[in-house]
Amino acid sequence: MSFSTLQQQAQLEWQEFERPEQLRILIGSATCGRAAGSLEVMQAFAAELDRRKLTAATGIYEVGCLGMCYAEVLVEIRSLDGRRVLYQGVEPKHVPALVETHLLGGEPYLPLALAVMTAETGSELPAFNELPIIHPQVRIVLRNCGIIDPTRINHYLARGGYSGMAKALTLTPEQVIDEIKTSGLRGRGGAGFPTGVKWGFARNSVSDQKYVICNADEGDPGAFMDRSVLEGDPHAVLEGLLIAGFAIGASIGYVYCRAEYPLAIERLQGAIAQMHAHGFLGDNILGSGFGFAIKIKKGAGAFVCGEETSLMQSIEGKRGMPRSRPPFPAVSGLFGKPTNINNVETLAAVSAIMEKGAAWYAGYGTEKSRGTKTFALAGKITRTGLIEVPMGISLRTIIEDIGGGVLGGKPFKAVQTGGPSGGCIPAQFIDLPVDYERLAEVGSIMGSGGMIVIDEESCMVDMARYFLTFTENESCGKCVPCRMGTQHLLRILTDITEGRGTLEQLEIMRKIGDTMKSMSLCGLGQTAANPVLTTLKYYEDEYRAHIVDHKCPAGACRALIRFDINANKCTGCQACVRACPVEAISGVKKKPQRIDQDRCIRCGSCRQVCKFSAVQVS
Amino acid sequence: MGSISLTIDGRTVEVEEGKTVLQAAREAGITIPTICDHKDLNPYGSCRMCVVEIDGVRGYPTSCTTPAVQGMQVTTTSERLTTLRNRTLELMFSGHPNSCLVCPHREACEKYRPKATKAARSTRCGFCANREECDLRTMALKGGSRDLYLPTLYASYNLERDDPFMDRDYNLCVLCGRCSRICEKIHGKPAISIINRGKWARIGTAFHKSHVHSGCTFCGACIDICPTGTLTDRFARWQGKPEAEVPSTCIICSEGCSVIAQSKGGQSMANIMTGFNPEASLCALGRFGYAQIVNSSQRLLHPLVREGEDHIPSDWEGAIQAAIEGLQVCVGATALVISATTTREDRFLYTQLAEHLQATLLILPAEAANDDPQIREMVGAVQQGKIRGLLTNGDFLSADLLRAANFSLVIDCLPSTTTSLASIVLPAAVLSETGGTFRTAVGTVKQMAASSRAPGDARPEWQILCDLGQALGSAAFDFSRIEAVTPLVSDDPAPAAIDGDPRQNVRELIPRFRGHLLADIVPALAAFGLPATEVAAVEAVTGAGFAILEKREIVPNMHFFKIRAPQVAKFAQPGQFVILMARETSERSPFTLVDWNGPEGWITVVIEEVGRSSRELASLKAGERIAHVSGPLGLPFPIEKKGTVLLGGGCYGIGAIFPLARALRQAGNRVICTIEASSAYLLFFEEEFRAVSDQLILATKDGSRGVWGGVQEVLAQVAQEETLDQFIAIGCTFMMRMVCEASRPLGIPTFVALNPIMVDGTGMCGACRVSVGDQTRFACIDGPIFDGHSVDWDELALRRSAYAREEVQALSQTVDLSALIYKPESDSCGCGRK
Repeated sequence: MSFSTLQQQAQLEWQEFERPEQLRILIGSATCGRAAGSLEVMQAFAAELDRRKLTAATGIYEVGCLGMCYAEVLVEIRSLDGRRVLYQGVEPKHVPALVETHLLGGEPYLPLALAVMTAETGSELPAFNELPIIHPQVRIVLRNCGIIDPTRINHYLARGGYSGMAKALTLTPEQVIDEIKTSGLRGRGGAGFPTGVKWGFARNSVSDQKYVICNADEGDPGAFMDRSVLEGDPHAVLEGLLIAGFAIGASIGYVYCRAEYPLAIERLQGAIAQMHAHGFLGDNILGSGFGFAIKIKKGAGAFVCGEETSLMQSIEGKRGMPRSRPPFPAVSGLFGKPTNINNVETLAAVSAIMEKGAAWYAGYGTEKSRGTKTFALAGKITRTGLIEVPMGISLRTIIEDIGGGVLGGKPFKAVQTGGPSGGCIPAQFIDLPVDYERLAEVGSIMGSGGMIVIDEESCMVDMARYFLTFTENESCGKCVPCRMGTQHLLRILTDITEGRGTLEQLEIMRKIGDTMKSMSLCGLGQTAANPVLTTLKYYEDEYRAHIVDHKCPAGACRALIRFDINANKCTGCQACVRACPVEAISGVKKKPQRIDQDRCIRCGSCRQVCKFSAVQVS
Repeated sequence: MGSISLTIDGRTVEVEEGKTVLQAAREAGITIPTICDHKDLNPYGSCRMCVVEIDGVRGYPTSCTTPAVQGMQVTTTSERLTTLRNRTLELMFSGHPNSCLVCPHREACEKYRPKATKAARSTRCGFCANREECDLRTMALKGGSRDLYLPTLYASYNLERDDPFMDRDYNLCVLCGRCSRICEKIHGKPAISIINRGKWARIGTAFHKSHVHSGCTFCGACIDICPTGTLTDRFARWQGKPEAEVPSTCIICSEGCSVIAQSKGGQSMANIMTGFNPEASLCALGRFGYAQIVNSSQRLLHPLVREGEDHIPSDWEGAIQAAIEGLQVCVGATALVISATTTREDRFLYTQLAEHLQATLLILPAEAANDDPQIREMVGAVQQGKIRGLLTNGDFLSADLLRAANFSLVIDCLPSTTTSLASIVLPAAVLSETGGTFRTAVGTVKQMAASSRAPGDARPEWQILCDLGQALGSAAFDFSRIEAVTPLVSDDPAPAAIDGDPRQNVRELIPRFRGHLLADIVPALAAFGLPATEVAAVEAVTGAGFAILEKREIVPNMHFFKIRAPQVAKFAQPGQFVILMARETSERSPFTLVDWNGPEGWITVVIEEVGRSSRELASLKAGERIAHVSGPLGLPFPIEKKGTVLLGGGCYGIGAIFPLARALRQAGNRVICTIEASSAYLLFFEEEFRAVSDQLILATKDGSRGVWGGVQEVLAQVAQEETLDQFIAIGCTFMMRMVCEASRPLGIPTFVALNPIMVDGTGMCGACRVSVGDQTRFACIDGPIFDGHSVDWDELALRRSAYAREEVQALSQTVDLSALIYKPESDSCGCGRK
């Protein structure tokens, strides 16, 4: 079957899906949606439809993630009149009302309605694209997430999918590489190496066998960009992998995906089967003479396996452990053969670039950092979510416009980017344009896209300690600076947060950090000290307060704080008494309460429940 | 391959293409420090010490992994590189007990304690068996100033002894990966690799299996390539660095593997591989078993001649005379039953002897037992009286056969049923004690080296045979050197190959050596399923004995015991000790009483895990029983009001000074206590001491806590500030000697608790004899506390080490057999997450 026939078939299926006069329920059911209860909501819909004998007439679809984590569970309902409304925070108990009001009644169920999905004049609801979280975004990598049913290759095809592959197969590999070079795409795994240049290296290696690998071993705490793409639009990644294989001359591609992503793996497996059925895998794809196979390799959840040489060792069945380069993978990689490794986001961009052209992609972003970047926006922010923005956008736009500002309107203190390898960017840089160069200038990194917003109640020492806990645990142990350096940094940070620190230790941490940066074998160790070094750079006074004054200015380090109840503010409601897990608070009702300091474990529960800000930290 | 040229430190260096920068530097005579690099291993890049600067290359690449490239400009020394290397070294050493580098007493210690003290885990330099050969230390002592002052992060891994031959102390490991890399190189699929992650990353087997079950073949390559004291040969480790290494051949089986024989002071230490490559690999017997056979405490030492029911030790002349008298009576009716585990020369001479005696000659394969078909065929002839004389060089003949014969002569190295029934027993030097040649199963003739001395009067077989032949009047035995025999040996057949390949599988080790069950000679071999003669098991202490109320390892190697012993508790006084026996058959070992409670009927002791007996005690758990507790023994220390008293304790002595401190304070003294340890993690009883002293001063040899140094530094400090009326120090002999030397010029009355070898503890045996002043005293009844300034320390040190070899041999025979049973740990799959 020719590619255009396949496209036509796909169009038919997509048009049927999009036909207005159909009852449709789309439920965001990526892992994040499922964690929020989407499957229960889906069951509730099924039961409700069954009760109303509407099952045959209504299509329920699981779609990927729209990236609005704060609003999960997200459900889009399409009624016969063509009205499409996105609902947020849906729970099974809301289902009868949603069915009654919208699906059957055609009227938006206002208590949960978030936006209308189609431009609708005169609606009391905002349009989806005009939502503050969506409007500044440019969704290229996330182009289909939450829009299509990821289990249907035809949905992907109908929205332009695989036309990039079809186009690439008519070109020479060199032309494909040139196209990617022209687009300015840089590796989205964190290092930002130009993708086309990297492909060129592997292309130029002569070998009977080459490999391409998709690095889906997303391991940064709090990062879930790759998972979302794999779950919401697996074909976008696989198409990119195939194009990469064609470009460098590899006949086998691996997707190295962590086993903690079972849904992503399931979607990938399904997508690969569909690619076979469509003739997009196997020998002589689309009559081009190019043959390609894709294998999935599950990783056991070691952070270091995101490092390319470790990842390849792991695929080979060995202990995931980095080795020195040279030789680079492009010369000697998997099983000693030339290998090219790209991460999920890079490959999803590749398929879009091949479809729409390098110039289109290069039209976004800054001079040296073209295109868009996804970020997992988390921490003390009003709207947590997964976003995709053009490079060069300011931190302020991301935090204030997209994210809706710091949670509870508290003052913005810093943003942490790049996860455990990254650093903290203090509030003074809020107008910093986000691209590879500018982030590096202030001591942080782009990383894979984690972005954690920090407010005045977060202790920078404690945060550095948190990241070091992670890297100390995830260091593979091979090289000395990383294995021992992380242990000592963590030990000292623990000393400081528990009030045993000394000023000399600050200098020792700087020296250890410098040594780790210069002497570690792989990126994990070279960057593991970053959370310490950047917080020391911008927040040394916070460290000193812990050491000299035995105080945690943010009120976060348990060993250094005490909670007291301000008698002037306390109303004696005793919410804190009920919340206290150790019965440390007592008092007469409607009179100010008291905290027994000997019993108090400084968990902060009382402070959280107090509606009158009567619980004070000092 | 062509050659390339590059510049290293301004020098132009020509090297073969494909070499690394490190190799190029070495060829140019430039030294770059490294630990993980080894000439027989592929580049690895884990220690990071060999970093260099290369023009045009970002950062500090490791020279071991960087290929040399034409025109490269390399700098190997700069201020920055030195700083980075020193800090990395400090980081490395923070994961490895390092007082051997930073202790202020290091030099004196090495003078007075040339040999390492045995201990379970190496927590400090005095315990490290690798001190003489430590690559790490050599590297560190060359360079390195301290910049970070990091404390030691001691991992507290248990010493692993769950196999017959290796002691693995991962507390010393710096994860250079040499062991797992050589294992992979030699065996393809390595038995060991790095397991776990982060701070728990360490070398280990898959799923925590014991080495016996892990596929390990016990070739010993990992031990021989380990740069630290982490992996050691349990038998050889306490003997220090070998003095001689000579190429030789292992003849335990017909494979005849080439080996390098290591020896020291004429004693065989081990055989190691001739090179770090698969072809050179050895089996467990060749690598480890060999030295234990040669050094067996059961060896036959003197010729024995039967007189009625008894074997009477004899000189060689008498024994040879008696032997030929017996043989001459049986001419034409003698059988020689000879093991192939001998040299070609020996077999040639046995053949000559058989001809001279017109005897039948049976050559038995290396693994033969007494049911060998050749022997079975002979039984009839012996019973019918056709064979009246038997000559054998192993344990092949049944008691019935020996009883049926008129005369039997055994030339062997170990006792057996055969020797016990023989008319005459001649002790043979074997294996590394004799030269000669050996023909392997594939027909190659290999040379053996005489690399160790035979014990007692034992002589090589060729020499015994020549003596016999000459005494029998034959001219065919006129040789004074084995080399003179060699040219005469020709056309000797190659022995049959053994079944299986023990170099690939420990389950295929041959079970016998000259007919003796190997597991009887080296008991630990039973772990590999090798058969052993059954011996009655020692009964565990059940009803009787002394209940252990509490037991915990307070710091590595230090075990706190609270034992129910009402009679001891009732009469105990400060300074006294008890003698403990873990089991009915255990050695008696003395331990100072730390605390006691008469009304409640308990005592406490602190036991330092050092040798076999303390290890036996340390393996007991709360709820179990100690077979015997005798005490209180020794003289109580006179507790008087003196004024200001300083008490110093180190190691087990920290426990020992506790009751003295308490009593002295109760007597109204101002009590200053100081406790020393190699590193902060080894200090204990801090709280306890604060309660019984007016002042507590901590000291560590690495400076990680308190005063940098030990009791002697504290003494000097305190003596400057106040007048000391009495000073008591308890610890190792070295420490007590040092502090006595420090207190002598200060004129402070100094008392020490001596720790000589002790047996009965009641003044009967004299083992604990010490010289104090001009008097000979018994530490058990005249001490243990004496005037430190009068002690003859040299004599004490000498007497304490009198049984060092036996103590080491005792160690090699204990295996944690319970650990041999494979038990997958439920809490972890090996991925590193708990």
